[in-house]
Amino acid sequence: MSAGVGVNLEDLWIRFGDFVAVREANVHINGGDFFSFLGPSGCGKTTILRAVSGFLEPSQGNVLIGGNNMKGIGPNKRPTALIFQNLALFPLMKVWENITFSMEIKGASTKQRRKRADELLDMIALTGQGEKLPAELSGGQKQRVAIARALCAEPDVLLLDEPLSALDLKLRQHMRSELREIQKRVGITFIYITHDQGEALTMSDNIAVMRDGVIDQIGDGKSIYNDPNTAFAASFVGENNVFRGTVKQVIGNEVMIRTNRSGDLMARISTANQGKLKQGDEAMLFIRPEAFALAPAGTQGDHFVTAQVTKEEFEGSAFNIFMEGEGGKEIKVALPNVGQSFESHMGEAMTLEYQVKNAVALPAGVLATE
Amino acid sequence: MPRFLKEYFNRNGFGLGSVMLGLVLFWTVGLIILPQLSMLDFSFRPNLPPPEIGGPKDLYTLENYKYLIFGPEGGSQSYNAVDLRVFYRTLIAAVFVTMFNLMLCYPIAYYLAQTKGNHIRVLALMLIIPYWINEILRAFALRIIFGESGVLNNVLVGMGVFDTPFDFIRNDIALYAGLGYAYILLMIFPIYNVIESLDRNQIEAARDMGASWPRIHWRVVIPYAKPGISSGCTMVFMLSAGALAAPQILGGPSSLWFTQLIYQQFNDNSDWPQGAAYAVVLLVTCILLVLALMRLFKVNMGDIGK
Amino acid sequence: MKNFSLMRIGIWVYLALFFSYLLGPLVIMSVTAFNSPGFPRAAPWECLTFEWFSALFQDERILNGIKNSILVGAGTVTLSVAMGLAGALMLTQIWPKLRATYYTIIIAPILIPGVVIGISTLVFWDRVNRLFGLEADSFLSNGLFLTVIGQSTFIASYCMLVLVARLQRYDNGLTEAALDLGATHAQAFRKVLLPFMRPAIASAAVLAFLASFENYNTTTFTFGEYPTLTIELAQKVRYGITPAISALAFIIVVLTVFAALANEAGIRRKELVAAARKSATVEELESGKLRLPGFLSSNAAAVILVVVAMMTIAVVGTAAVYSPQQCIADVREQKRLETDLKVQELLQRRAEQAARRDAEQAEQSGQEPTTEDTTPKASNNSGFGNVFDPGALQDDGTDDPEEEPATPGNNSGFGNVFDPNALQSD
Repeated sequence: MSAGVGVNLEDLWIRFGDFVAVREANVHINGGDFFSFLGPSGCGKTTILRAVSGFLEPSQGNVLIGGNNMKGIGPNKRPTALIFQNLALFPLMKVWENITFSMEIKGASTKQRRKRADELLDMIALTGQGEKLPAELSGGQKQRVAIARALCAEPDVLLLDEPLSALDLKLRQHMRSELREIQKRVGITFIYITHDQGEALTMSDNIAVMRDGVIDQIGDGKSIYNDPNTAFAASFVGENNVFRGTVKQVIGNEVMIRTNRSGDLMARISTANQGKLKQGDEAMLFIRPEAFALAPAGTQGDHFVTAQVTKEEFEGSAFNIFMEGEGGKEIKVALPNVGQSFESHMGEAMTLEYQVKNAVALPAGVLATE
Repeated sequence: MPRFLKEYFNRNGFGLGSVMLGLVLFWTVGLIILPQLSMLDFSFRPNLPPPEIGGPKDLYTLENYKYLIFGPEGGSQSYNAVDLRVFYRTLIAAVFVTMFNLMLCYPIAYYLAQTKGNHIRVLALMLIIPYWINEILRAFALRIIFGESGVLNNVLVGMGVFDTPFDFIRNDIALYAGLGYAYILLMIFPIYNVIESLDRNQIEAARDMGASWPRIHWRVVIPYAKPGISSGCTMVFMLSAGALAAPQILGGPSSLWFTQLIYQQFNDNSDWPQGAAYAVVLLVTCILLVLALMRLFKVNMGDIGK
Repeated sequence: MKNFSLMRIGIWVYLALFFSYLLGPLVIMSVTAFNSPGFPRAAPWECLTFEWFSALFQDERILNGIKNSILVGAGTVTLSVAMGLAGALMLTQIWPKLRATYYTIIIAPILIPGVVIGISTLVFWDRVNRLFGLEADSFLSNGLFLTVIGQSTFIASYCMLVLVARLQRYDNGLTEAALDLGATHAQAFRKVLLPFMRPAIASAAVLAFLASFENYNTTTFTFGEYPTLTIELAQKVRYGITPAISALAFIIVVLTVFAALANEAGIRRKELVAAARKSATVEELESGKLRLPGFLSSNAAAVILVVVAMMTIAVVGTAAVYSPQQCIADVREQKRLETDLKVQELLQRRAEQAARRDAEQAEQSGQEPTTEDTTPKASNNSGFGNVFDPGALQDDGTDDPEEEPATPGNNSGFGNVFDPNALQSD
């Protein structure tokens, strides 16, 4: 178990009538990984999870768990355990009965079940709460019971379907680190579904970004954030300023883009698209708000845009400055709050400097609307 | 195996799915559809002794339906006046009973649904208890009351309202009271269910705007409760038109209910095909009437039974 | 506000009238079970008697009817709850295009007149029977089988409605969770769905049993050699009524009230237990030492239940030692005296009439007298009370057609003597 069991999706298609929910998914998940599917609602990520857990028969392609093809194997025979979005705790069973349901199925004695329940309750820090009914627990406690119930089945792969979405912000952040810790402790593969990029980035070893049934990019958090494959991935994960335009000139792995409103800007081509951008192609250039440095107007750096400050905001960890460039182009800049004294520049024109390594050029594509 | 069947068995498991499918098919096909078709088929056949069934004489005929309209062949009258009169009187009386029930029950249903408090539970309990008691016994109780030496006559004669006891039974008053009594719950429950889900604020808002109570009911409550009202009326109408026990026990000797004719055909005359034909006529007429009313009031079948 | 309080009074008057229409007949019927006259009546009150109860318990046909009703009820409950549950489950997952048609089919039996269901069941299974070449007494044409089948046809629809209401609140994710944790479909059904449905299944079963127990319209065509209680009652009621039926009704009323109170008390207790659990500490729950509220504490329904139970015991105890013989004898004696008086008066009148007739005949021979049939009516106003009211005459008359209708006082006075029940209770 410590090595972990890997999961492979091979050329997976899932259709409902004429609607294609998942299109040609090829994913390799390492054993023991915390792997997330990240995407907006309706992108097909839950469908993939249901295909892995066995509630859905793929229209085409295979699901392999630990190298074994799962075709024709029902959910009750697969080495997976699913944590449902609404948790699906059995309302009429006490907490300990809920947790050890999988043992009851196998015919374990009440004594064995009690013992195992106590161990798991200790692990999720709910010692002594076994006699309660699920309705008598708080949101976070229910969450942990659901995890314990899934772990009690000793699955090779734990599947989690947005289990934190119903919790409030504080609890959600707390549960993130707790989930990650549990995963490290039990060492099994976790497949996590979320639309919250913060969750995906903080917890996952690897992330698959999905849109409309298609997987745009698979990689660890850093590479997805810094080196997105598509315009969608760039705009969905984290905040980004996007500049549309056409390729003016390709220089090795860098490119000069003539943007529609902000003049010619230099950027590097994202790794997956190197060699694919040609002169005259429509392209998009992404610069993250924190990648800009503010300088007084008239400063002539290597790479910059000019804009006027329209709004200033203090968010706690950062100062957000909203600016308007030429032709009404909106640009957001984030200055990390490191205890500096903040000087307001309301209404002033400023120069926004950036480094080419922080500006990513991608072929034009659909942006995330969120 | 077709795809939807495969999905069905994937979802429910083979064993459980088969049991479920078997039960549903037995119920819908074996108990509902085939018997009704069988009755329809039977109503077009002549009344034959068992050995001749399926024999050369067993041919389809309209005889049984003709009988209802024209009476026995070679009879003295050109129409079967007796049976036809019973038929239309049954329908009219059923409509009357339904309307009486609606007027009686609507205020109660509204009161129960829109009032809070512990006494509502008690009232609801008192409402249900009579329906745990046998239909025959309910009719029997009314017969004790409406009988010539019954309580009601004792009281009325004692108060001097009548000189001599009034024959409630012969005048069908006992029958109508009994039919109304029998289906009160079926009228109250659907209306209650709908009105209970009506947001009290709507009524308050209407009141606030100065609407009178009758207007509030006419413009707000009744339109909202329409599915419940039509569901209750449909059930009461169908059940009173199809009632047998109450007319047998509470009906006067001269006033037959159409179901009693059917009963006589089956049990006294042993003419099953004739009885089946009458049953088909009753069923089809009732369904057509209900469908017509549902169309008139724009209610769906799906609202029935809520 | 005057207007408002006026409306309030109106509402209460309406409620009072409504519930007296609803409950009055049952109360009066119950009272007649304890009055001694052979025709069920609440007034005039003669003697408190329990003889109608013993008459009831000695009536073979009633007892046999109860036995058959329970047999039929058990079969109907099993079949209709099973079909209702399957039908409800199917409704939640049927192909959307078929849904409306399917719903119409399974809801239709509620609207089809019971008579029609009875006939179609009879006709269809008779045909199936012939199709298989079975004898007329095969199990397919057995009254028990036919009645269960016929009743289940529409009772399953009621069950389906009850079950579907609960099923709509079921999260199908629970079944999936059970499957995911390794349960088979059957295990998931038994351990997760069924416990969730249990309250609704219990309601549906009770409803099904009551509906089966009281069904007449369908059963009257199908019962064959298994007449249920309702069939027996209907036959009795149609051919003359006795207070023994009131006694049976009274027993059913009492049982019903018991069941309703027990149910209420149970619900209230569940609420109290849930409240106690909520306020309990983890340690109390863990040690199992949670002090649950007593059965009677703050539970009005439970208190009433106990009171009614004690009253019932008291009444049964009284019935065991109480003998109405003296009272009945007194009433009989009084009636005899009244009858004698009446008979004498009649004789006297007849003598007068005869004398007058003789005189008239002597004057105008060939003219028929018309005065005779006015005599009984005249007796109505003669201060002998209800003994002579025409209702008593008519009803007793139908009981004993051999008796001469011309001697009115006779019936009520000696009616009890000829009543076989009276003999039995001696």
